Amino acid sequence: MRFLCTAFLQIFLLMAMTVFSAVPALAAIGCDLNNPDRDVPRLFPESTSYKTVYISIAKQGGDPLLRKIENRLGRANLPLYAPIDVPYTLYEIYRDSRKVGYIHGVNQKGQFGGIQVFMAQDLTGRIKTFYIQKISGKSAGKLCDTKFAKKFAGISLRDFDSYDPVSGKGTGKIAEIINPIPEMETDFYGVLRGLKKNLVLMDEFVFAGERGKQ
Amino acid sequence: MITRFQIACKNLLRKKARTLLTLVGIMLSSWVLVSLLGFNRGYEQALNRDIDNMGYQLMVMAKGCPYEAATMMLQGGTGLRYIEQSMVDSIVNKPEVDKATPILMQAFFDPDKGDGGGIAGYFGVEAATFPAMKPFFRFRQGSWFHDERGAEAVMGFEAAELEQREVGDMILVPGKNVQLKVVGILERTGTQDDGTIFVPLKTLQKISATDKITTIGIKVKNDADSAKLENTLYQLPDVQVVSFTQVKQTIMKLIATARVMVLSIAIIALLIAMVGVVNTILMSVMERTHEIGILKTMGAMPGDIFFLVWTETLILCSCGGIAGISLALVFSRLSDILMRRILPYSPGGELVAIDSKLAVMTLAVIVVVGLLSGIYPAWKAGRVRPLESIRSEG
Amino acid sequence: MMTKDAVSLEARGLTRSYHRGNEEIRALDGVTLTIRRGDFVAFMGPSGSGKTTLVNLLGCLDNPTTGELELAGRSIFDGSKRLDEKALTRIRREVFGYIFQNFYLIPTLTVRENVALPLAFYKKPGVEEEVERLLKMLGMEHRMDHLPGQISGGEMQRVAIARALVNRPEILLADEPTGNLDTNRTAEIGEVLQDLNKNSGLTIVMVTHNPGLARLGGRLIEMRDGKAYEN
Repeated sequence: MRFLCTAFLQIFLLMAMTVFSAVPALAAIGCDLNNPDRDVPRLFPESTSYKTVYISIAKQGGDPLLRKIENRLGRANLPLYAPIDVPYTLYEIYRDSRKVGYIHGVNQKGQFGGIQVFMAQDLTGRIKTFYIQKISGKSAGKLCDTKFAKKFAGISLRDFDSYDPVSGKGTGKIAEIINPIPEMETDFYGVLRGLKKNLVLMDEFVFAGERGKQ
Repeated sequence: MITRFQIACKNLLRKKARTLLTLVGIMLSSWVLVSLLGFNRGYEQALNRDIDNMGYQLMVMAKGCPYEAATMMLQGGTGLRYIEQSMVDSIVNKPEVDKATPILMQAFFDPDKGDGGGIAGYFGVEAATFPAMKPFFRFRQGSWFHDERGAEAVMGFEAAELEQREVGDMILVPGKNVQLKVVGILERTGTQDDGTIFVPLKTLQKISATDKITTIGIKVKNDADSAKLENTLYQLPDVQVVSFTQVKQTIMKLIATARVMVLSIAIIALLIAMVGVVNTILMSVMERTHEIGILKTMGAMPGDIFFLVWTETLILCSCGGIAGISLALVFSRLSDILMRRILPYSPGGELVAIDSKLAVMTLAVIVVVGLLSGIYPAWKAGRVRPLESIRSEG
Repeated sequence: MMTKDAVSLEARGLTRSYHRGNEEIRALDGVTLTIRRGDFVAFMGPSGSGKTTLVNLLGCLDNPTTGELELAGRSIFDGSKRLDEKALTRIRREVFGYIFQNFYLIPTLTVRENVALPLAFYKKPGVEEEVERLLKMLGMEHRMDHLPGQISGGEMQRVAIARALVNRPEILLADEPTGNLDTNRTAEIGEVLQDLNKNSGLTIVMVTHNPGLARLGGRLIEMRDGKAYEN
């Protein structure tokens, strides 16, 4: 009996240590949807299917592309964190056989932890909505609210030309969006920076290529 | 002058598609076999490494039903039952004990961790005693806690990466609304510690409103009798003793059945591939009966024909085996990822460990099994009589 | 080494019977003949007459049911002796070269490799240069690196002849060597065989349906119902 309990306890202990870890050791720190079957229809109600595509900067354009992206983001303030060969997960969304949009996620620094921002984009590159999969702190409730996400519908990368999410200064549609949690500015701007990072990456991964074909 | 080896090679090239398909069969079964053998070795090595990297050889914890504790843990409860911190003093004085350190494991429910929330786990440790258990820890930034009661945290490499924390940033203990300042970020260790958040023991006790601990980590002196110490520790009231050597043995026993099963599958795959080899060579012999007869008229002995056909088997198995083993080496990382998805528990580090010795041994197995399979077609070829194979008019 | 006019093959009362159910079929019925060194013997006869059976026995491709066979004075079969495949192979590779109606060249080996093929299994001393020499002699030196699929039927039979001769056999056995060739190629091969017999002193034992080819040799033996009749 003593052996049996000890045996089970030993296994439990090791499994518990896995639970206690924030992530399993050596897991990839990428941005994947935890449950794409549930999340994709939420972001694209009209969708019937999706396809998961992996893109790595190393294969897409290597060091020159990495430098280009970092320059567009502003290296110090919107770092990419991940090494050049880590794959980014892109979800291509379909209605029947027709592509209707994309979902792509990034990890952005927040006040008390990382903020995972998943952006739903239409084929013109405009934001449809976004979904915050992970955030720490009391700002979570207001920033995760779908009403807040709706304010960004129709925004594109061009709107960030007149607004800098790092300094919080600028004009245009983004400047008009009010911070719902003034006491947690870091998280509010973290979401904006996450959206800009998303838009720049998607522009380089997808839309630049489509412009080249035209 | 043409050699017998060249004749065998050219014979195989006569039906390229058939030879290729047979090669692919051997290649795939070799790939599976060497990957699974590599897994058998790699899992045990990785487990040993994980256990060695625990830093301590024994753990003492409260007695209790592990299932109940696991359920409470997964639902965000306080998890394991507690033991008195004073027990550390009684343990550290034992002659076999080199070092002892108290640990409090706590989990808090974080409603913002994904849809529906998730668990955030913390380890409360003493800066005075815990680092000595993990001498291989290196800091990427910062250092251990400055204050045993401070609102501080040290993060494992991947925990920091996920939360995008640097030294000086804050983290929040969910549900308790307590902010902790990150004072250190560890270098990657390749163990579970990479995903762990360490907090001063006293701080975590205060957050959890307890003065107890969940485990005591014990490092045994090199020349001490570990089994004797275990028995002594079992005399302490209401505690369980966990030896990581036993953990390893238990895990290995539990997966032994799975290992035997998957190895059986690999062997079956190999045998099926060999049936393919026998079929290919046999068909080739049947198609070349006239030629074999002619070779005998030229002076080839039955033994010559036997070895010629056997050489074809050797070439097929060697090439297929080498290709399969090479693919296994190239895709060992992918196999690793696949194994991790399937297994309920997998230690850190390389799960599929294929070294040159294993590769050579696997190739030898494939070649030997192949040669054994090739005996019948080669024997049949050797027995061909020239007269029967050449068309005769009576 | 046999001297001119030495006896190559001596057959006495050779028979070969087969059983089909309860019936005994006598393919060869007490054939006695002598073949001397340098002879060019052609066997003709209708299908089932026993000509190929006889040539197979003479060429040590089979054991007779009864009778005796001597090869250069050495007894091979004497009624009581029955040789296994290994023993037959040893005799064949020392004494005989074989060519057949279907050429039986290895399609994945070049002309040169096909001719050298017997040397991979057995090589008499001093035959290293024979491959090139024979191909040149038979007019095939410009095709050495071609595959059998790239040469004509007549050329394939020349290659087969070269292969049969690479180990310097005493006797060449030819079973319907022109059976798959047109008239022109038949004449070519006929000339080659005649040339080998006259200039190299090669003993040739040939089975053929072609009367023109049969007349090239010095001796014509007709086979009927398992018996041999020499003209």
